[in-house]
Amino acid sequence: MGRAEDEAPRFEEALAELEGVVRRLEHGELPLEDSLAAFERGMVLVRQLTGRLEQIEQRVEVLLRTADGNLATRPVADDE
Amino acid sequence: MAPPRILSVSELAAAIRGRLETGFPTLWVAGELSNVRPAASGHLYFTLKDARSQLAAVMFRTAVQVLPFRPADGMEVVVRGRPSIYPARGTLQLYADALEPRGLGMLRLAFEQLSARLAAEGLFAAERKRPLPRFPRTIGVVTAITGAAVHDIHTVLRRRWPLARVLVRPVRVQGDGASRDIASGIDDLNQIADVDVLIVGRGGGSLEDLWAFNHELVARAIAGSRVPVVSAVGHEIDVTIADLVADMRAPTPSAAAAMVVPDRHEIATQLATCRAALAAALVRRNRRERERLDGLRRGLGNPRRRVDELLLRVDDLAARARRGLVRQTAWDRRELGTLARRLAAAGPAMQLARTAERVDGLRDRLRLAHRARLDAARAALARARSGLGALSPLAVLERGYAIVRRGDAAGAVVQDAETLHAGDPVAIVLARGRAFGRIERTES
Repeated sequence: MGRAEDEAPRFEEALAELEGVVRRLEHGELPLEDSLAAFERGMVLVRQLTGRLEQIEQRVEVLLRTADGNLATRPVADDE
Repeated sequence: MAPPRILSVSELAAAIRGRLETGFPTLWVAGELSNVRPAASGHLYFTLKDARSQLAAVMFRTAVQVLPFRPADGMEVVVRGRPSIYPARGTLQLYADALEPRGLGMLRLAFEQLSARLAAEGLFAAERKRPLPRFPRTIGVVTAITGAAVHDIHTVLRRRWPLARVLVRPVRVQGDGASRDIASGIDDLNQIADVDVLIVGRGGGSLEDLWAFNHELVARAIAGSRVPVVSAVGHEIDVTIADLVADMRAPTPSAAAAMVVPDRHEIATQLATCRAALAAALVRRNRRERERLDGLRRGLGNPRRRVDELLLRVDDLAARARRGLVRQTAWDRRELGTLARRLAAAGPAMQLARTAERVDGLRDRLRLAHRARLDAARAALARARSGLGALSPLAVLERGYAIVRRGDAAGAVVQDAETLHAGDPVAIVLARGRAFGRIERTES
């Protein structure tokens, strides 16, 4: 199950980072160079997260026990 | 053989009644209620039936009054009573003195006992309730794969937060083995790494249909869950043990789905707000830096700018002086040439000698005039220099300042980095000597 989204930071973490960036920028305690870098990082996060919100399809799977007692998942068929 | 004794109807009815009442003591009988008819008298008439037979029954007012529920057609019940006949009609009927929904009495007792035990263990305690994750990666659902619940849950999740994966563990939600299924479903989903929250439930049903959710196995599985559990047993009037143990209780599967995920439109709005805040913060920061820079420039800029201005004036004066001299000399030369030509044209020797004298005189005057103009220009220059006095650029240069000039023929003084480009040649005027170089990069 090495899915691509496993590699990406969790939505929650990315959003928390974004909120941190906004807070630091708004407090203005960063040196000018760092504040520019923070702004750019923030915009990247906004873009990434907004892009992820545009996902429409939801993955639905069924968890089953196989004959040998192990757990296995399979996608839900259309008629289910 | 005596002739058969002829009985009256009443005698026969009474005899049957006597046999029935002695042969059938008070007993319990299970069946389904139908044709339930409350009478004005307060008595309750109904028919008790099963797949093959039916039996008329009556419950007298005093017994009806203490019933904790209203009997209705289709209910599976257990009735306590005795069979007898109603002589006036000669019909067999069951005289019921107690009636309860089948199985419910025992279940209710079990519910009360389990509930008390789990409460004593602290399984229902508010401090055990865990908050739900804000953005679950995978939502585990324990319910029947065929029911409306799984469809309702998926509909809501897809609308609100399609980013999450939905992992359904199909289980039986009623009947034998349902509670074991539900409990093992909870355990199994807990083994899947990125499951962050569970929904355990089913759609609406009768009290008995929901009973699997009152089982201790289910309660223990919910209490032992690694991740928070939302119960969604489709009923609103009553509460199940699962509801009491769960971290959150939802009235329906749809409501449970709405609890476990955020609304993506709200999150999109939040992101837009962040984007605006970022831009606003940067604009504010830029404005503040510019104001600070302007302040610094006002503080530092004055002496330099005055020196620059004075230098420009010096340059201007020097250039004008140089241009003036060159022009004058050239004019003088032209005038001399003209005179010489006129002289040549004049011819005679005497005139020639006189003319030579005049030419000499003119030449002397020309030299004098030339020198006088040069002197005047030098004097003007000297005045200008001395006028610069205390702010002499040379004095400034002595203090370590340098003047940057363009490296081209005009050699203009550079005041604005924006007029320069990488590679432009420049001359740096120092207190002593000059240095030459090229611009590497500029910044405004």
